[in-house]
Amino acid sequence: MRSKKMVFEIIDVIISGLINGSVYALMAVGLTLVYGVTKAFNFAYGSFYNMGGYFAWMLLIPLGMIGGYFSVFFIAIPVFFVVGYLLEKVLVSPLRKYDDWEMKVMMLTLGLSLFMDFGYQAVFGPRIKSLPGMIEGTLKLGQVVLFHQDIAIFILSVGGMLCFGWLLNNTRTGMAVQAVAQNPAGAKIVGIPKDFIFAATFAISTIMVGFSGILLCQKNFVDPMGSTNIMIKAWVITAFGGMGSISGSLYAAFILGMLEAFVGWHFGMIYVQIATLTLLLVTLTIRPRGLMGRE
Amino acid sequence: MVLILSGFYCVMGIMPLFFGNTAYIMNILIMILIWAVVASCWDVIMGFAGIFSFGQVAFYVIGAYASAILSVSLGIPPVFTIIMAGVITGVIGVLVGLPCLKLAGPYVALVTFAVHMTLIPFLRGPLGRAIGSGGSQGILTIPPINLLGFAFSSEQLVPFFYLTLFLTIICTLILALIIKSYWGTAFLALKDSENFATSLGISAFKYKLMVFGITSFITGLFGALYAHYVGMLSTKMLSMDVFTILMIMMVIGGIGKYPGVVVGAVITVTINQLLAPLGMYRPPDNGRYCSSSGSVPSGWRHRPGSKVFPFTAKNRLIR
Repeated sequence: MRSKKMVFEIIDVIISGLINGSVYALMAVGLTLVYGVTKAFNFAYGSFYNMGGYFAWMLLIPLGMIGGYFSVFFIAIPVFFVVGYLLEKVLVSPLRKYDDWEMKVMMLTLGLSLFMDFGYQAVFGPRIKSLPGMIEGTLKLGQVVLFHQDIAIFILSVGGMLCFGWLLNNTRTGMAVQAVAQNPAGAKIVGIPKDFIFAATFAISTIMVGFSGILLCQKNFVDPMGSTNIMIKAWVITAFGGMGSISGSLYAAFILGMLEAFVGWHFGMIYVQIATLTLLLVTLTIRPRGLMGRE
Repeated sequence: MVLILSGFYCVMGIMPLFFGNTAYIMNILIMILIWAVVASCWDVIMGFAGIFSFGQVAFYVIGAYASAILSVSLGIPPVFTIIMAGVITGVIGVLVGLPCLKLAGPYVALVTFAVHMTLIPFLRGPLGRAIGSGGSQGILTIPPINLLGFAFSSEQLVPFFYLTLFLTIICTLILALIIKSYWGTAFLALKDSENFATSLGISAFKYKLMVFGITSFITGLFGALYAHYVGMLSTKMLSMDVFTILMIMMVIGGIGKYPGVVVGAVITVTINQLLAPLGMYRPPDNGRYCSSSGSVPSGWRHRPGSKVFPFTAKNRLIR
């Protein structure tokens, strides 16, 4: 009897790991894309995640948007695209002409992240906000209980990734992005507008992380100070999977989601971060280019 | 370099004559001295050795906690614990440096920042409580430094100020000597071209670990000094604003332009105090400051001929 209960608990943990892992995958793929193409180390990634959460909260609670999450997703895509595009054009791309621009971009995004985090606190207040669920109700499969909301989150994040993969492989812009990632000089010779591709990649990654913010903030909360955690998580996944490798970060996201769920279930939530970062340190010591990284 | 540094410390040395009675200003002056050295260490590791280490605040906190735990739990006199804290932090710095040897730019930043982020749950959780970090409450009763029967407590700031000044001058001299010596040149060579430097016989292994060891030793020393100065510690020191303020000092002073960072520390701590009436809007303002000064090429010591602003008339003509 005891062992049977244990089995169901483990199934629950696996399900929660899968759901978290799918959203992390969406987040990390955006990050690895922007690193692979523009080589910019974005420290404000967690703040973009919170931007998604606050955006959904603002539309749903104070404005009472008709259509619920459906309209939120529709409005979010162009808004996040414009935000990401402008941020890249105004802040990041002027730095690109200096020799040590990587360090400058790191500092700039760090400052931006701090600015945004305290900006959220100033605008929305320091309290955490909770988003309403997408769909209510549960699905019973024998003893295992699944929330409809979790299923929706899983489907949306996997669907988002598939959609992104299709865009990357089948559209002209997507192929141009791949070309710039493989060989920037060659792409320039062929006549691909490099600056536009950089800005577009940044914007697409903003959309992806904003989306994962909207999805995951329903399960957790919108925490104005939680952005550093998210940023570290996304970076750990990308470094663990190999920077610039999309399939690597997919595997890494699911592995990390599982690890997090199991460590949180067995040892307690306080050890989750220690476990993730230990995994990162061990991986980088043994295999510096990550799981699937090319060198 | 010598002129700026000696001028700075001479001016700092006579400051207590004017402000010795005002505890508020003395506190700012002491913090300027401490931050100046911590930021200089970061400048040496980032600007000279070219290692993107983001673990400076972590080393500072490790030093502070090590000294506090040793003096509170084991009852060792603070004079010894400060040096022990420096050694412990130096060893941890070398250990952190080991995985960083094989890694390139952003990965190093990630690993060192990961150390920073691991410290928070470690010190707050049961593991930290087991070694005496006091959990999320922190350590509240850290004894002041006691030297030959004289206690440098935070009630009498002038003696503590001169103690800090003395240590600061020693550590600044050490850092300046390192930068001017063969070692500093080796750091620069490794930063500019690692392959060429190793082909000339400069061991990347030795010098990278050395720079980690030395800077974290000095940082830990000053973290410990800070712990015994304020008398209490919590994990709040690991929050992002401390990190950003330290980074602003470096950006304002110019990365890799050594005495600049000292001036950066003075400017930043003063501005941060002047911004206090802004209340909760101060941290975002610091963030804005950090982002905006990121676009100035080399801090306040830029050469007049260099391109400071991205859009000059000449640029526009060529386009």
